[in-house]
Amino acid sequence: MQANIKVVLIFIGTFLLFQVEIKAQAAFDSLNLKKAKHYFKTTIFLDSYSKANQKFPKQKATKPSNDSVIDARLGSFGLKQFNVGFYTPLYTRTYYNQDSTVYSNTHYLLTGNFLSIQPQFDSINKVHTLLKYGLGFRVIQNSGKKGVWFIDIQPFTTTDITTSTPNGYFRMANSFIYSHNFSAKFNMRLGITKSFMWGNRYYLPYLGFRWGKLDGVNFSIQIPKNISLNIPINDKIRFSIFSKPQGGMYSFLNNDSLYYFRPEVKAFNFTHYEILGGIRLDFAIGKNFSGYIDAGSSTRSNITFYSTETSKKRPNVPYKVYFYERSLSPTGFLNFGLVWRFGKTKSYFNDKNMYDAFDINNVNSTGDVNSGPGNMEIPIKKSIKQSKLNLADIQDLIDITDQ
Amino acid sequence: MKAIKNIIILLTILLWLTPNKGLAQRDKIDELRSTFIAKHLEFSSAESEKFWPIYNELHDKRKAIKKNLRQSLKNISPTVSDKEAEDIINLENKSAAADAELTKTYNDKLKLVIGAKKLAKLKVVEEEFKLEVLKAAKEK
Repeated sequence: MQANIKVVLIFIGTFLLFQVEIKAQAAFDSLNLKKAKHYFKTTIFLDSYSKANQKFPKQKATKPSNDSVIDARLGSFGLKQFNVGFYTPLYTRTYYNQDSTVYSNTHYLLTGNFLSIQPQFDSINKVHTLLKYGLGFRVIQNSGKKGVWFIDIQPFTTTDITTSTPNGYFRMANSFIYSHNFSAKFNMRLGITKSFMWGNRYYLPYLGFRWGKLDGVNFSIQIPKNISLNIPINDKIRFSIFSKPQGGMYSFLNNDSLYYFRPEVKAFNFTHYEILGGIRLDFAIGKNFSGYIDAGSSTRSNITFYSTETSKKRPNVPYKVYFYERSLSPTGFLNFGLVWRFGKTKSYFNDKNMYDAFDINNVNSTGDVNSGPGNMEIPIKKSIKQSKLNLADIQDLIDITDQ
Repeated sequence: MKAIKNIIILLTILLWLTPNKGLAQRDKIDELRSTFIAKHLEFSSAESEKFWPIYNELHDKRKAIKKNLRQSLKNISPTVSDKEAEDIINLENKSAAADAELTKTYNDKLKLVIGAKKLAKLKVVEEEFKLEVLKAAKEK
């Protein structure tokens, strides 16, 4: 009996406590005000990349090989790439602990990407246009304490649209990463990623370190995505020195007889990767509009051709037996992009976990393309004297009741 | 290439149509306030981790109350009817009650995170911030 009374009292107590919390918000809720639902803004970014054509290095072979025949048919190699990506929050859920002092939140984002890549082989009559596009989904969970979880699923299709011949592959890139903020100045990430940016399908461990605050100067190593030294000059300009891989795996039509000893193969895989090293300048044109330009050197550039169909016919041989492979000498590259952000968000000033959530979302750009919109949504600290204030800015600070 | 140009033009028009200018201005003052508070109240890493999400939420709610009231005051016509005037006064009363309620609720939450001493100091720092901003605005 006594035990039952205790249970009932606990129940009533909990209920009353809950009522206090509800009542505490009653007057505010009665106003039915429109509030921002998400922390992430819908973001659209355009990215254009190009590097100059290079002749293939001369072979030392005494008799003609596949490589030298294909070299002659290709002439040289350069690259033009255009990418449109976006992410948009679908749903954001905030959880509170018992005393409402720890806020954790989960962000569900829809992502999308459309990449058009044109390998520039100057001896081929018609430039091939290879597409890679898809819609993806990512979940970012901010524990409200030290950790941020990141799950990313990026399915995509690759196809060569040079002629109407049907071709293409469906592929999937994924990432699963845990990010731990030991402090605002030191962060470590661990995870696994399935990516094609190293020129083929690889399952790679993800290991990241960051020294320095995200809203200040920081040095970030995010293997296998990038290494960068980030220096914010002010809230309008940010500068960085970086090194990162770029590449992919695309369907390529055999209409130029490059796979000349297997003419029955309609399309094969074209893979490429390169390591880009350079400087990047991000500039904000407005609160929701920014751009970036980066330039530098493309090194360790590598291209290969191989056929999945042929590989399937010889199960005892590794599938990555290329019928053509070439490494090219370093050359310069130029990359620029525009970023638009839309919508109203909840405030996240000085919230290091949210800053980390933005960073992990931007480092892992959409569509398995290693070029992202940058961290312009993370505000850079500035003093009152540095800011350009006007009367509308300070309106909220003055109350009628102020003496 | 023409398609790319069209996309850029379309997105730029969309951006201009988005009513974000006023919002950006008010964000600016919130950014400055948070920097000022972080500088003057030395939070430990654990305090900072919990404090900012709560404080940001409080300010989002306060901002929403003020914006709503300001909007309603702006819409008052010179030939305001008795009912409209009554509604405005009611809204102001409700807004004041909601603001007072928020102060109490969030003071309780923040006290658990940073303690009473720092919470009291926060109020002082917020006032100092107002003065600094007004001083800066006057100088310009």
